[in-house]
Amino acid sequence: MIKIYQRLWQVNWAEQWQYRANLLMYSLYGLVSPVVYLAVWTTIANSQGSVSGLTANDFITYYLTLLIVDQLTSDITIHILANKIQDGTLAGDLLRPAHPVLTSTLVYNIAFKALSFIVLIPVWIILVLLFQPNFGMVTPGSLLLSIPTLLFGFAINFLFGATLTSLAFWTTRVYSVSEFFGALVVLFSGQFVPLQLMPPAIQTVAQYLPFQLFKFVPIEIILNKLSPETIARDFVAYLVWFVILFLIFRWTWREGIKRFSAVGA
Amino acid sequence: MRIFQLLSALFKINVQMTLAYRLDTLVNILLNLFWLGWELLGLNIIFSNTKSLGGWGFGELIALLGVFRLVNALMAALIMPNTQQFNTAVRDGTLDYTLLQPVNSMFLVTFSRMVIWRVWDLLLGAILIIVGMQLSGSKENLFGLLSFLLLATTGSIILYSLWIVMIAATFWFIKFDNNVTMLDALLSTGRYPVTIYPIWLRVIVTFVVPVAVATTVPLQALRGDLNGLQVLLYAGISLVAFLVATRMWKAGVRHYSGASS
Repeated sequence: MIKIYQRLWQVNWAEQWQYRANLLMYSLYGLVSPVVYLAVWTTIANSQGSVSGLTANDFITYYLTLLIVDQLTSDITIHILANKIQDGTLAGDLLRPAHPVLTSTLVYNIAFKALSFIVLIPVWIILVLLFQPNFGMVTPGSLLLSIPTLLFGFAINFLFGATLTSLAFWTTRVYSVSEFFGALVVLFSGQFVPLQLMPPAIQTVAQYLPFQLFKFVPIEIILNKLSPETIARDFVAYLVWFVILFLIFRWTWREGIKRFSAVGA
Repeated sequence: MRIFQLLSALFKINVQMTLAYRLDTLVNILLNLFWLGWELLGLNIIFSNTKSLGGWGFGELIALLGVFRLVNALMAALIMPNTQQFNTAVRDGTLDYTLLQPVNSMFLVTFSRMVIWRVWDLLLGAILIIVGMQLSGSKENLFGLLSFLLLATTGSIILYSLWIVMIAATFWFIKFDNNVTMLDALLSTGRYPVTIYPIWLRVIVTFVVPVAVATTVPLQALRGDLNGLQVLLYAGISLVAFLVATRMWKAGVRHYSGASS
């Protein structure tokens, strides 16, 4: 099994290394929206001192951390897998004696992530120099605590994306469905604004959804903003959602495969 | 005159293509409405925490969102689909057939695909602008209104010209799939007034990829921030940009050697 992953990693890394220049351009997409929101909220914070207790520096550190966290927990399964299901090339993958999503799709995801992360670092350093944040509240302990949340955040996001992509077995409009959920993620994950600035109703809903585990929770843990009780509760949430989404994915995939009839010989 | 005939022919073809996918159109419009609700909620969250954003009120930001939607429609309805088609055509040589047509090739390449349902976005944008300006309660005068219309047009021409320059560069680089990525990625800065951005970003979206010229600037005219000279200056820039773009396109076509046969 380890051998399979090793081989897949070599292949995927070599393949994607060819596209490193493209990656640099595509990383722009992920960069612009956090910088825009950063500008919006620091403008407001500067004009009135603070927003609900958050200073300009709080917003700068939040969005700069978001850039990193977002990169680490993001998932691109739909772009790898959906067209394979639709045009039938998945048939070839299904013949192999390993789960196609949990092996090649997952490794592709991680290789892409590793490369885009390398691309992001210099850009991120430039942004840090431009915005001059004070990261004084970050400690080795908070960074250490964030590692499991980042790992599980990605795992949950990946399972969520894989489940959504599996809907391609039933509908051709899987990209529209994914766009709809994408908007929900932006809202409930803390991508748009730190969740504590949201209307109370949205905050309550966010508590019961897995999306804040992708971004908001890891960011707040890195920035040392959460109490030990909250952190403990969030860790439980990670485990619970991991199990739930794993079961949902397994079921959807199994039912989807049954319906799958590949086109072409 | 012939240009208009062609345009209406291309429009009809694209309407027919859209009609083949009616349900998709409906789904797209529903998603679009959903995003609108999302954007309004976003503005609402911002303004529940403050009274003004860099001197701009709630109504003015709604109007800006309307202008942004117009520019976004230009991007999504024309620029993205035609670029995709063009990039493939340069690489596999099918562009030859386009160049052989007895029509201005720049026109044909940039208008052959239209995402018809985006017409809806134009309508929505116009409504947002009107409602937003009503909400802001500012008194528009005729000069402001005329210069708004002029600057919205010239801003779009500037973006269109930049697009031409970028895709013309493909004639030299052949594999230049990212020719509009910069423009597309930076477009979302147009949702908010450019004056709130740090200076380096302001320089980028004003001079390098002039998204702000098509979004913030027209609205500044409507707010009465600009004088006649500035309006004329922008109009002049758009004219120059368009001329440069046409030149570049012609040079590109001359350099293009075809990939087929």
